[in-house]
Amino acid sequence: MSIMTLTLRTLSQRIVLLSLLTVTLAAAPVAVYAAEGEPVPAAESAQKLVEVLQSNAPAAEKAIVCKKLAIYGGKDAVGSLAALLSNAELASWARIALEAIPDPDADAVLRQALGKLQGRLLVGAINSIGVRRDPKAVDGLVAKLNDADTDVVSAAAAALGRIGGDASAKALTQALTKVPAGARSAVAEGALRCAELALAGGQSKEAIALYDAVRQAELPKHKVLEGVRGAILARQSAGLPLLLEQLKSADKAQFNMGLRVARELPGREVTEALSAEIKQVAADKQVWLFLALADRADAAVMPAILQAAKSGPVKLRVAAVTALDRLGSTPAIPVLLEAAADNDLELARAAKNALGRLPGKEVDADLLGRLVSSSGKMRQALVEVAGQRRIPGSLPVIVKCSEDADAGVRLAAYATMGGMGGESEIDSLVKLFVKNDARKERAAIEKSLLAICGRCGAAATPGLAPMLKSEDSALRILALHALSSVGGHPALEAVKSALVDKDSAVEDEAVRTLSTWPNNWPEDNAVAEPLLALAKDGKSTAHQVLAVRGYLEYVAGDKNLKNDDKVTKIKEFMPLIQRAEEKKLALVTLGNIPAAASLELLGSFTTETALSEDAWAATVNLLRKEVPGVSADLKVKTLQSAVASAKEETTRKNAEKALKAIK
Amino acid sequence: MKKFNLAKTEPARLAPQGKSNAIDRRQFLKAAAQATALIMAPQIVPSSVLGREGATPPSEKIILGAIGIGNRGTYDLTCFLHEPDLKFVAICDVKEGRRQAVKKMADNRYGNTDCAMYRDMRELLSREDIDAVLIATGPNWHATASILAANAGKDVYCEKPCTKNIAQSLALAETFRRTGRVFQAGTQRRSLPNFAFAIDLARRGKLGKLHTLHAHPGGLDTHMSGWLPAETEPPKEQVDWDLYLGPAAWRPFNAKLLDGFNFEKGGGLAGGGCLEWGSHCVDLCQLANDADGTAPIEYEPVGEELRARYANGVNLVMRNNGWAGLGSCPVKFEGETGWIETGDDGTFKVSSEDLLTGRKASIAGYPADFYVRDFLDCVKSRSQPRANAEAACYSHIACHAANIALYLGRKVKYDPIKNEFIGDEQANRMRSEALREPWRV
Repeated sequence: MSIMTLTLRTLSQRIVLLSLLTVTLAAAPVAVYAAEGEPVPAAESAQKLVEVLQSNAPAAEKAIVCKKLAIYGGKDAVGSLAALLSNAELASWARIALEAIPDPDADAVLRQALGKLQGRLLVGAINSIGVRRDPKAVDGLVAKLNDADTDVVSAAAAALGRIGGDASAKALTQALTKVPAGARSAVAEGALRCAELALAGGQSKEAIALYDAVRQAELPKHKVLEGVRGAILARQSAGLPLLLEQLKSADKAQFNMGLRVARELPGREVTEALSAEIKQVAADKQVWLFLALADRADAAVMPAILQAAKSGPVKLRVAAVTALDRLGSTPAIPVLLEAAADNDLELARAAKNALGRLPGKEVDADLLGRLVSSSGKMRQALVEVAGQRRIPGSLPVIVKCSEDADAGVRLAAYATMGGMGGESEIDSLVKLFVKNDARKERAAIEKSLLAICGRCGAAATPGLAPMLKSEDSALRILALHALSSVGGHPALEAVKSALVDKDSAVEDEAVRTLSTWPNNWPEDNAVAEPLLALAKDGKSTAHQVLAVRGYLEYVAGDKNLKNDDKVTKIKEFMPLIQRAEEKKLALVTLGNIPAAASLELLGSFTTETALSEDAWAATVNLLRKEVPGVSADLKVKTLQSAVASAKEETTRKNAEKALKAIK
Repeated sequence: MKKFNLAKTEPARLAPQGKSNAIDRRQFLKAAAQATALIMAPQIVPSSVLGREGATPPSEKIILGAIGIGNRGTYDLTCFLHEPDLKFVAICDVKEGRRQAVKKMADNRYGNTDCAMYRDMRELLSREDIDAVLIATGPNWHATASILAANAGKDVYCEKPCTKNIAQSLALAETFRRTGRVFQAGTQRRSLPNFAFAIDLARRGKLGKLHTLHAHPGGLDTHMSGWLPAETEPPKEQVDWDLYLGPAAWRPFNAKLLDGFNFEKGGGLAGGGCLEWGSHCVDLCQLANDADGTAPIEYEPVGEELRARYANGVNLVMRNNGWAGLGSCPVKFEGETGWIETGDDGTFKVSSEDLLTGRKASIAGYPADFYVRDFLDCVKSRSQPRANAEAACYSHIACHAANIALYLGRKVKYDPIKNEFIGDEQANRMRSEALREPWRV
């Protein structure tokens, strides 16, 4: 158990561990709880806790007792806790309990402390009075506004703000102009809190007076602006002129507060006034105001935003379109579509995003209707948006668009078919592939086909197998790629059948496909057998190399293989590997298999000149992991050998690091 | 539009029982709905609109300071330093080694020696040229420092857990509302494609009517930090123990307590626990349930699980077991017609592959870049970031309330309008904890 952090899951654990805490911290445990089960009744428990406070127990123990009294303590604990308020070490612990105990006696002792304490301890007591919102303390706190200690003045002002009421309001208003500059921000904060309470209590006139006092006082600008915010909001729609004043200001902080309040002040008349204001403010501010209007989510702003989205500077159009993303509905569709077909890419992208997010089935219906009758760039945009929204019933129209005269529309249709299509679209895409010679179009069609096959899985295989019998080599290669996306046993068998083909390019592609077969192990581990065969008897070195790499990837990835079995397979496979490059790859693979057998096999290569450095690097990599069956002693000895024998500096350094970690 | 709602700021909700003034329920629900509407559809604002393309003139750059920068903070700061419209100027840390390390990083980045160092955050916050601060002190300071910063006129990006208890959660939301400052909690999974996609499915009804949300809090244990034997206190310039303790109750120096990541996490007797990961995964459940302005109303430890229930009937199950192995911080959303589970490896398990149709590539891990950018965009636009103070407030309240139920070992009922436990004095006393003098929130 960590000394610092105790884990307290169950009640019984908690009891034991709290006792342990006391033992650990103070070496003088006090039985506060019953040994098992529920805590003893609070009254009895609290009495024992109080006895600890009254005893000569160490401060550490009294501290934890204070925490418990915050939950279980009552009137009887107040006196003992009050006695700690002047104790620099325990005052903060005592206040934890005093702030929480509901009994009025807790208020009384904190009020009494006002006349006894000084400095930080006095500040603490005042803060606790503020938290408890004790109205009887107002006079005492008002007196503290004249204290020589700025921290005390600040605390008193904050507490008065929390308590509120006429007397607090009056004192804080006066203090705004009287207290030293160092305490004035705290007084302003108190006045703002006081105003909030007044407003919540229906005293808007009093609240406005407080806000106005703050915004007119000599304060840091951000405090003045907090007063401005409150003054606007408290006045409701009558605060509009003051809001517009902020938005017209050349001062950035004022304008920014205006933007904030523009989102908060309710009312249609406010929305309309802000909409009109967009035309009045400087061009560089219009964007920000647009965004603020969008956050109001008020339909009254639509005319202004629709107008801005239609024409004007592109930056503003983009902002307006972004706003429509939030506010728009069916009436926004024509404007957004126009923007989506615009030559400005960012504007078009923003409009398509907005169209993709507009809520409602009626939007789907509207867009589908337009898709049928559209053409050119507008149709391209509609195809993309239909795909983004996955509009029900749009797929047949999109398939038709894949034969559109406009290349942009066709490309958008291919992509959308890839996103939305299923098995029934495979045939359409294959036909399109055959029909189109252009490399760009074929690439787009293939991408869509692979996306569909990846989603459909085995269900796609029957549609792909006939392609392997096509006379067109390109189609047979496409089939191999698609089968690779599908994965699984039937697809694998189909790919294996292409290892013997009249076109060597297809054979090459079949080997390449097998060597990168989707490693959804163990479902796809049947690929091991053809890879092993190719590694032995592949038609060309290239085929053998690809097979070796694929086989090593299979061994590393198959989760059904135990680590020892992996090492055995690699050991058996090593003689088939011809080139040094793949042998090194095998060593790297071994270095990632945490098994004692890996270490042993790697060791056999450390003496082979051509592989020695790679064997050491893999060995060090292996020993940086936990390797079952390899003792710390063996680890150390092997790593020391690596430091002594490896020529590569990186390997030696890694070995030294590993040694250091072990030690 | 977010409704003007000063009434929500009234602090009476956390006064000792019997003193609270309930606010109008209709008003609250309306405000909560509007607050969540803002989050429902975060604007995707093109970079050119926000002036992020091309060179940003110095006068338009956001000036950033950082407070408490250790491992996680250094990662966050790196995300900030990559942003072209930002200038980092000052580091504050109570530990000299950290101050020096961050200064070196910043000075190397800018090719000068300008990064200022502070031990006391109040000095950094008093600088008028600083617009925003990154706070990654550790949970003991997060809320107090964020509130100090807001009161000093700074926008804040704060690591999680952001608060130590329910009172601090409410104070955080109230302060950022009052000051009009921008707050982003470091709960970046809201922006990550896989989590956002799962949330979108839940919110758009693609799973049918939602009934159960599952969160992996990474631990359902409650913790407290203790008082260890006194050791020789280092010089203030090296480690300022008083400032390190900050709002935590006093105890003597002990080097074992200098782990800011865990120190006083959650505070009280029932802190820590589900806060560390719950502030992520419970937060995601909150968003999936469109509940950013509220929290579950019941919490009960049942076996190895903590079961909670929202007012709309949706269940929230915090559990450590039975996950599909999709990496850390998984969540699962279940509706009447389907379910989806995702985690930090960026992949999904779904009831039907149809739910994933057209799904684009995911990002594994949990990078914060998107969140940092979202924050900086909101500093400019004054809009609300994805994990604004209101959203963070209630996500944290859900975790704190769960911890209280775990500590008490029984069911507790919570009223997210009055923000108090119903008829439960023990639980209510655990909503708040006094701060050490002179700190307050």
